[in-house]
Amino acid sequence: MAEPDTIQATSVAQPRPPLIDVEGLTKRYGALVAVDNVFMRVAEGEVRAVIGPNGAGKTTLFHLVTGVVPTTSGTVRFDGETITGLPAHSICQRGLSRTFQLTSLFPEMTARENTMLAAQARHPRHWLPFGGGSVFEHARAAGDTALEQLGLTHVANRPAGLLSHGDQRLLEVAMAMAQEPKVLLLDEPTQGLSVEETAEAVDTLARFLERARVTVLLVEHDMEVVFRLAHKITVLHRGAVIADGSPEAVKADARVQEAYLGGME
Amino acid sequence: MRVTSLLGPLALALLLAAPFGLPIFAMTLLTELVILGLFAMSLDLMVGYTRLVSFGHAAAYGLGAYASGYILLNSALPLPFAVLAAAILTGMIAIGVGWVCTLATGVSFSMLTLAFAQLLYAVSFKWTSVTGGSDGLAGIPRNPGPLGLEVLSTKNGFYYFALACLVGSFFLCRALVRSPFGAVLRGIRENEAKTLALGYNTRLYKITVVAIAYALGGLAGALYSPFAGFANTELLFWLVSGQVLIMVIVGGSGTLIGPILGATFFLTLEHQLSSYTEAWALFFGLTFIAFVLFAPEGIWGLAKRYLGQRAPEETEQAPAAITKAEAKPHG
Repeated sequence: MAEPDTIQATSVAQPRPPLIDVEGLTKRYGALVAVDNVFMRVAEGEVRAVIGPNGAGKTTLFHLVTGVVPTTSGTVRFDGETITGLPAHSICQRGLSRTFQLTSLFPEMTARENTMLAAQARHPRHWLPFGGGSVFEHARAAGDTALEQLGLTHVANRPAGLLSHGDQRLLEVAMAMAQEPKVLLLDEPTQGLSVEETAEAVDTLARFLERARVTVLLVEHDMEVVFRLAHKITVLHRGAVIADGSPEAVKADARVQEAYLGGME
Repeated sequence: MRVTSLLGPLALALLLAAPFGLPIFAMTLLTELVILGLFAMSLDLMVGYTRLVSFGHAAAYGLGAYASGYILLNSALPLPFAVLAAAILTGMIAIGVGWVCTLATGVSFSMLTLAFAQLLYAVSFKWTSVTGGSDGLAGIPRNPGPLGLEVLSTKNGFYYFALACLVGSFFLCRALVRSPFGAVLRGIRENEAKTLALGYNTRLYKITVVAIAYALGGLAGALYSPFAGFANTELLFWLVSGQVLIMVIVGGSGTLIGPILGATFFLTLEHQLSSYTEAWALFFGLTFIAFVLFAPEGIWGLAKRYLGQRAPEETEQAPAAITKAEAKPHG
């Protein structure tokens, strides 16, 4: 999947277009504006965090980008193509793989089988109703690579439902990586973990991101996690963007501090 | 070699040798068993492997039975072709059924399958020119054909034909559930939302599996009407749907073999108990409850446990009892 480069080749004179380009994205639930006219650009290779107090619209924004929830207005472009309105599985097929805020795995399958099923989705003959040796072979190779990237090789044969919470969260990331995505979307990857588990998981994630060079869109409300992992940060408050920039700039922003002190737990 | 891996060839050998050792009435029973086993196995694709619980699988059985009955009565098409055509017709109609029913999930899905079966039940009464109304279709022949096909019209020939359909369908189903397609079905069974998020068009998979299950259920029905010589509205009644679901669960869902054993168990119990008591269904119901409560993995699950089989590749077919609550780790 080395396709991102081919797009660049056609537009030599221009600066690299963003891999994800969100323009004026809005989602209304009746009178409530969950996401309010959001603009955001994520460059290739960037680790972008979307942060904000609870209820700021982070997860909704995520659902809009991945097509899980229909948009009210605005567009999302991925790799130059508009993906707004496409069904979720079709967006995923284009190379956006996501994890869920609440752990979502196949609990009775082993960790390896989980990553294999994820990888299989990217094989052109993933639907083959008989045989399938080569499909499984490809899936296993991609799955094992992903397990290794996230340090899960030692639990590969354990049913996912029996893994520790930390490993379950990492397995979700491994499943997304097994799909060899262009963009990895992580929805609160440390949600539900204890302080120790979080520290461990963040270490693993940081090490993995350093080597993997994958574009990441990360939703998180744990500040420590965000500042460890992200290159760029977008701050949402009541559905709207109030700051956008490097971690240092965002940390110093007066409006961000106010939003957090005024609105967070 | 594991003990259970020898059971298959042994059972097949016994089934093949049966006509040489069993009296005629027993062969009738055995033929019915083969047909019912095929019927139950077809439902297992939906219930056991995809957790699509159908309350209306009688629709497949009845459709197949009426279709093959009608073809055999109104044309000279030889038996095997008529049966095959009826199965394919059932599968094609099931694409529409699957399309509608998969608009819903869970209990609503089950209710829609039931509604469709009841709809057919009503049609079978009213569409007299095709179905014969409440009289049904009687005197359905086993049309002989050229090329030596007439041997299938004999009692034992028909038995072997039904057995071939069962064995063929079994290997077809087994290849399906072990294929990449089958892996996706398992994903849908365990966590459909996640399967969708991974990029699979889960609805398309569900419609496909409904069509295949109905086609094989239709094949069973298509065998039944030339076997019994008639097709009537009873075949479409919801009671049939309930019974076949019980066969799947008692036998062990998600195993293919289990439902065949469940059908055996059902038929044996029916014949043995009914000679002692009129209330045999009561005892059968109690047995069913006992299985759900104490052995949700079913007969085949119990058998495997006692034969000491716990190979890793078999854990992937760990019986997914539909009575068990969704096991989901919390985040």
